[in-house]
Amino acid sequence: MIAQQIINAVSLGGVYALLALGLAIVFSIVGLINFAHGELMTLSGYALLASLVLGFPFPVAVLVAVSCGALAAVAMERIAFRPMRGASVTSLLLTSFAVSSLLKVVFQNGISARPQAVAMPGWMTGAFSFGDFTIGVGPSISIVVSALALIALEVFLRRSVTGTAMRAAAEDFDVVRLMGIPASRIIATAFLLSGLLAGLAAILWVAQRASVDPLMGFTPVLKAFIAAVVGGLGSLPGAVAGGFLLGIIEVLLQATLPGAIAPYRDAIVLSGVIAVLLVRPQGLIPAVRAQRS
Amino acid sequence: MPSLYRLHRAALCAAVFGIAAISTASAEEIIIGAATAQTGGLAPYDQPALAGLRMSLDELNAKGGLGGKYTVKLLIKDTRSDTAQTATVAQELIDAGAKIMITPCDADPSISAGQLTQPLGIPTLTLCGSAPVLTGAVGDVMFGTYPADNVQATAVADFAVSEGKKKVFLLTSPDSTYTANLPEYFGKVFEKKGGAIVGRGTFSMGQPDFSAEITNIKGLADKPDLIMTAAYEPDFPAFIQQLRGAGVTIPVYGADAIGTPTIKALGKLVDGVVYTAAGYAEPGSKLEAFNAAFTKYAGHAPESTYEVNGYEIGLILDQAVKTAGSDDPKAIRDAIAGLKDFEGITGKITYAGTDRMPLRPVALMRYEGGEGKHVQTLIPDAADVPAP
Amino acid sequence: MLSVEALKIRYGEVEAVRRVDLTVGSGEIIALVGANGAGKSSTLGAVAGLVPAASGKVVFDGVDITGLAPEAIARKGVALVPEGRRIFASLTVADNLRLGGAVHQPAAEARLREEEMLELFPILRRYHRVKGGNLSGGEQQMLAIARALMGKPRMILLDEPSLGLAPQLIDTVFDLIAELRRKGLTILLVEQNVALALEIADRAVVLANGEVVLAGTAKELASSDLVRQAYLGA
Ligand SMILES: Nc1ncnc2c1ncn2[C@@H]1O[C@H](COP(=O)(O)OP(=O)(O)OP(=O)(O)O)[C@@H](O)[C@H]1O
Ligand SMILES: [Mg+2]
Repeated sequence: MIAQQIINAVSLGGVYALLALGLAIVFSIVGLINFAHGELMTLSGYALLASLVLGFPFPVAVLVAVSCGALAAVAMERIAFRPMRGASVTSLLLTSFAVSSLLKVVFQNGISARPQAVAMPGWMTGAFSFGDFTIGVGPSISIVVSALALIALEVFLRRSVTGTAMRAAAEDFDVVRLMGIPASRIIATAFLLSGLLAGLAAILWVAQRASVDPLMGFTPVLKAFIAAVVGGLGSLPGAVAGGFLLGIIEVLLQATLPGAIAPYRDAIVLSGVIAVLLVRPQGLIPAVRAQRS
Repeated sequence: MPSLYRLHRAALCAAVFGIAAISTASAEEIIIGAATAQTGGLAPYDQPALAGLRMSLDELNAKGGLGGKYTVKLLIKDTRSDTAQTATVAQELIDAGAKIMITPCDADPSISAGQLTQPLGIPTLTLCGSAPVLTGAVGDVMFGTYPADNVQATAVADFAVSEGKKKVFLLTSPDSTYTANLPEYFGKVFEKKGGAIVGRGTFSMGQPDFSAEITNIKGLADKPDLIMTAAYEPDFPAFIQQLRGAGVTIPVYGADAIGTPTIKALGKLVDGVVYTAAGYAEPGSKLEAFNAAFTKYAGHAPESTYEVNGYEIGLILDQAVKTAGSDDPKAIRDAIAGLKDFEGITGKITYAGTDRMPLRPVALMRYEGGEGKHVQTLIPDAADVPAP
Repeated sequence: MLSVEALKIRYGEVEAVRRVDLTVGSGEIIALVGANGAGKSSTLGAVAGLVPAASGKVVFDGVDITGLAPEAIARKGVALVPEGRRIFASLTVADNLRLGGAVHQPAAEARLREEEMLELFPILRRYHRVKGGNLSGGEQQMLAIARALMGKPRMILLDEPSLGLAPQLIDTVFDLIAELRRKGLTILLVEQNVALALEIADRAVVLANGEVVLAGTAKELASSDLVRQAYLGA
C-alpha cells in the first residue's frame, strides 16, 4: 500500500513538475506567469483527439499533439505577448488571462462545451503485477515520460548554446543580448519549451482522464502555479521540486484524510504551501537573479 | 451545443426584448425565462434539455401556443454554470416579464433561482436537476422534472441486489448535492435489502488524480463487488480510466449523468457500467418516434434522454395552462402540482401527492461494446425510496 | 571608427545626458571621465544599444547604429564590459566564455578563441569549472573582459574596469588594456581613476552633468587646471 502510494505521488508529482517547469521557463526569461499555459494543454489534448479520430497511429498522434502545443506556444508569444514586450508585469498577467479566456471560449464554441472522450489504447489500462504488488501502466508511463523530459531539458539547458543562454538570460537578459544573442530567439525558445512541456503534460493528463474539455487547463495551470511558487518563482530546479512536493502532499492527504475532513483537502494543501513560503519566502530553491547597481 | 451566435442572441434578447417585453406581452403571449448554462460544466446537460424544450415550444406555438392560446416567447440567458450568475440572470428574466422559469440541471443554481421566483409565485422547473431536496429547499413553486436521485438510486440498488451484488464501495463528492447524496441513497436501499457498504471514498470535482482513492479501494480487506458513484464528466472518465489502469476490474455503477455521448465514446473502458435514463426507445414506442422527430428538428440525434425530458416539460406546461385556463402563474403552478398519470413521451408522469418531484419510470441501461443497452425499465416501489 | 553626435538620453523626465559628442579613431584608447552621475555609463549604454537615445546619432564604421538592438550592435563588433561586471553568477566560467563567443564564429573557432583567452587570463583556466558567482571581484572583472573578447570585437567599451579592485590588480587590468591596444583593439574607457586613465589614453573627454566640458589629448588634459583640481586632487 505504502509503496503504491509512493508511486502514485511520484507519478502525479512528475506531471506537476512538467507543468510548473513550463510556467517557470517563461517566467524566468520574460517575467510573465502565462496563465494561458493550461489552454496550451487543452489544445494539445484536442490535437491528440483529432489525430486519433483521423486514425493516426498512437505514436504519431502523440507527436502531433506535442508539436501542436509547442507551435501554439510560439504563436501565442508572437501574437499576444511580443507586442506587449516591455510592458509592466501586471499588463502581461492580464494579457495572459485574456488569452486564456479567449481560447476557452473558442474551444467551447468551436468544438463543444462538453468533454470529448479520448479513447486511449487498451494497453494503457493494463497493469504489471509483481506477486501481490501491481503497478498500472498509466502511472508507470507518467513517471518514465516525466523523468525523460526532465533529463532531456536538463541536457539541453546545460549542453546547448541556446540552453546556456536561457539560463544566463534568466539572470541578466541584457548582458545576454550584449553577447550578440538575439532576444527573440531566447524568448521564442522559452515559449517553445514551455509548449513542449505543456504538450507532454497534456498527453499524460489525458491518458489519466480519458477526456478533454474546454476548461481542462484550469486545474493544471493552478497546480503548476502553486508548484512554481513553492519551488521559487522562476527557478527551474525549484519548479521541479515544487511539483513533486505538491504531488506528494496531495496523494498523502487523499490517502490518509478521514472522509469528514476530505472536503478541506485543497485548503489544507494551500495552508501547507503558505507555511512553506513563511519559512522560505523565496521558495524551496530560489531563483538566481543579478542584483543591478 | 452553445454557439457564439446564440450567446449574442441571448444578449440581444435581454437588451431589446427585456424592456420591450413588458409592454408588448399581449393577452396571447406568455414569456418563459430560461436561466440555463450555455458555457461551463453544466452546459453539456442544460443544452440538450433546452433543445428538447425549444422543440416542443416551437411545435406548440405552431398550434397556437400553450393551451392552444398563449404563444410562448422563450428568453434564454447564460448562467455560465455559476450559481450566483444564475440568480442574476433569473432576476433579469423576471424583470423581463417571465411567468414561468426554467432552471439548470443542478440543484444549487436551481435553488438560487427558485429563491427569487418563490415570493412571486412563478412556477419554476429545473431542466434535469434531480436532487430530491431541491423542491423542499425552495417551496411550492419549484418542480423537478427528471426522475429524482433517490428514485434513480433505488432503481439501481434494486437491480444490483437482483444481480446478487453483496458489497458496495461508495464514491461521493461533497461538491454537489447530486454527487454527494445519490450514492448514499443507493447505500441505504442496498443495506436495507441485505447488502453491505464496505467502504467510502470522496473526491473533489475536477480533481486530477484518483490514484490515492483507488489504492485505498485496492487495499480494502473486505473486497467490494461493486463501486457506486454519481461522478460524471470529466471526473467519471478520469476515475474509471485510472481505476482500470490500476488493474481493478470491479464493476462501476452510476446514474443518469453518465448517460452521455462522451461516456459512451469511452468504448471498452466503460463496458459493464450501469446507468439510468428517463426512458428507453423501444421499437414502436413514442420515444422512438420522438427521437426521429428530434433528429429532423435539430439535425442530429438526441444525445441522451435529456432532450425528451426537456420536450416533456413543454407538454407539461401546455397541459397545465390548459387546465388553468389562464396565464396566471399561480394557477399554472396549481395545475402542475395536480397532474396525475399525465401521458408523456417516456411514460406516465405524476406530481399529485408528491413533493413536486415527479413519479415516473426509470430506465436502467448498461454500456456494452460502445453502446448503451437497455436492461429494464421500472418504477421503484415508493416504500423503498429513501427520504431526501 | 566610432562617432557619437549630439547624443541625448532621457530616463523618463530626467535628462541624464544632455549633449555628448565624441569620436574614437581606429586603434585609439579614449578615456571618458567625470563625476558620479555625469552620464558616462549612459553614454556607453547608448553606444551598445542598451539605452535608447532620445536624440543624436551613433555611427560605427560609417554605419548609423542608433536604435539598433544590442545584439545587432554586438554582431557588428562592438563589445561592452558593463559596469559592475555582470558576469553570469550561476554559470561556470567556461559557460560564461562560451556565451561570449557563441554567435560570432563557428564552434571550432570559438574553442580556439577560448584557448587564447585562457592563455591571456591563466586564472580563468584554474577556475574553468567554477561558477562565476564564486570568483573574487578581480577574477570576475577578468572574466567579464575575457567574455567580451570572446566575440573578437573590433571595439571594446570598458565601464570602470578598476572599480573595487586592489591597487595591484588595477595595475594588472591596465597592463591588459595596454596589451589589447597593442593588438589593435579600439577602446573606449570609462574610469573613475582619472590619473591612470590619462596615463594610458590617447585622448580624453570630460563629462559633467551630461555634457562634455573638456576634451583633448590625454597630455593636455593632465595638465589642465580644471582636471587637476577636480579629478587629480592637485
Ligand atoms: N535606469 C535609469 N533610470 C533612471 N535614471 C537613471 C538610470 N540610469 C542612470 N540614471 C541617472 O542618469 C544619470 C547618469 O547616470 P550614469 O549611470 O550614466 O552616470 P555615470 O557617469 O556612469 O555615474 P557613475 O560614475 O556613478 O557610474 C544619473 O543621475 C543617474 O541617476
Ligand atoms: Mg557609471
